[in-house]
Amino acid sequence: MLKFLVNPSKFIKFSNFIFKPLIIVTLLSFIVGLIYIYKSPLDYQQGLTVKIMYVHVPSAYLAILIYAIMTIYSIIGLAFKIPLSFIINKAIAPIGAIFTLSCLISGSMWGKPMWGTWWVWDARLTSVAILFIAYLIIIFLNQTFENREVREKIIAIFILIGSINLPIIKFSVDWWNTLHQPASISKLSSPSIDITMLQPLLIMILAFSLIAVIIAILRIKAEILIRKKHL
Amino acid sequence: MLILKKITLFFSRELKLFYSKITDLFSNILFFFLSIFVFIFAIGTDEQLLQTIGVGIIWVLLLLSSTLSTRRIYEDDFKNGTLIIMHMSGLSYELIAFLKIISHFIFFQIPFLISIPIAGLFFNLNINEIIVLIITFSIGSLIFSCLGSISASMNLLNKTNFSIGSLIILLFSIPVIIFSVGIINSNDDFSSLLNLLFGIALVFIGISPWSSATCIKLAIRNK
Repeated sequence: MLKFLVNPSKFIKFSNFIFKPLIIVTLLSFIVGLIYIYKSPLDYQQGLTVKIMYVHVPSAYLAILIYAIMTIYSIIGLAFKIPLSFIINKAIAPIGAIFTLSCLISGSMWGKPMWGTWWVWDARLTSVAILFIAYLIIIFLNQTFENREVREKIIAIFILIGSINLPIIKFSVDWWNTLHQPASISKLSSPSIDITMLQPLLIMILAFSLIAVIIAILRIKAEILIRKKHL
Repeated sequence: MLILKKITLFFSRELKLFYSKITDLFSNILFFFLSIFVFIFAIGTDEQLLQTIGVGIIWVLLLLSSTLSTRRIYEDDFKNGTLIIMHMSGLSYELIAFLKIISHFIFFQIPFLISIPIAGLFFNLNINEIIVLIITFSIGSLIFSCLGSISASMNLLNKTNFSIGSLIILLFSIPVIIFSVGIINSNDDFSSLLNLLFGIALVFIGISPWSSATCIKLAIRNK
């Protein structure tokens, strides 16, 4: 059932099968999400700038999620020596970097009217910036070594060490007194965000994740085909 | 008993190597002092200003000058085959990495501890700040040695991009800098921050021998 997550040829078959429906669902969810955002109410304090949230939150969520996926695949790859995990690591690192960058940029565009500065040295902001630098180092390491096995495994070890940062990002708003607000959507408690804003936010999170999946599928497929050609 | 004899032999070899390369250490310390001079000339000699930012500058320059020597941790032994011979004589790569970290800490970081009070004089730091600086650096430099071991073993086969090793060290040293400068700048009780720094040191002592050993094995297999 879940063999396509570890087997390259099954992955290609599965992605060919799912690719067209995925694009349609993504387009639909984007259109629906944009309509919902247009209709969603303005915040009584923040006004129009609250709509930056619908870009900021999904990209922040994806930035962390992609690193977590890379961490899981590094463990799988190092423990069970599965080649597809290293392919996925290489393919989705730039996507994570782009989402982290978009999270940082949209956050600083949100911070300028609300907090009065583009950037504060706050725990949440600093740890996300460190995450961005970690993504950049992963991309650089991908260009550095000549030998492929060395490159893949060293990147996996680096990802594993760098994953210490993930819980720091998650809990930084709880552990330290920060300017950044704590999480509004939580699995365990009822959300502290109004339902009219929660609906478009969830739809945008879905749309952003689907876009990430589409780009990831394209990149992973290209990488698999390149490696098959060279073997 | 045999393993203890091997460890003493390892350290005596490291000591001999250290004596033969002692100018390397002296030039690192000279780099530290020269960069302090350059910093002071760049921001002006206002005593009040120097006193407020002195601790941070000393920490950052200690970090930068102690990363200069990290590339040498494994490189020479890897190139002339000593690592393989050590492994064949019964030491596991994890133990070799751990001993290398300890020896780097003793031979290349302890001398910086002696130079900290002299550096503190240039910034007019008072005696309490210098003592806390020495305490935090003696923990922080152990973390730097662990990070140096990780980045040096990662870059054994790296022939193109030399600066990425320093990037790895700088990235992971950010929490060390945050907590250590926080300890010195907090006026009252700093034991909680010191405990956190100890915790980070223990985490890295736990992680780094394993990851260094994995990287060394990879490098030896693909030499």
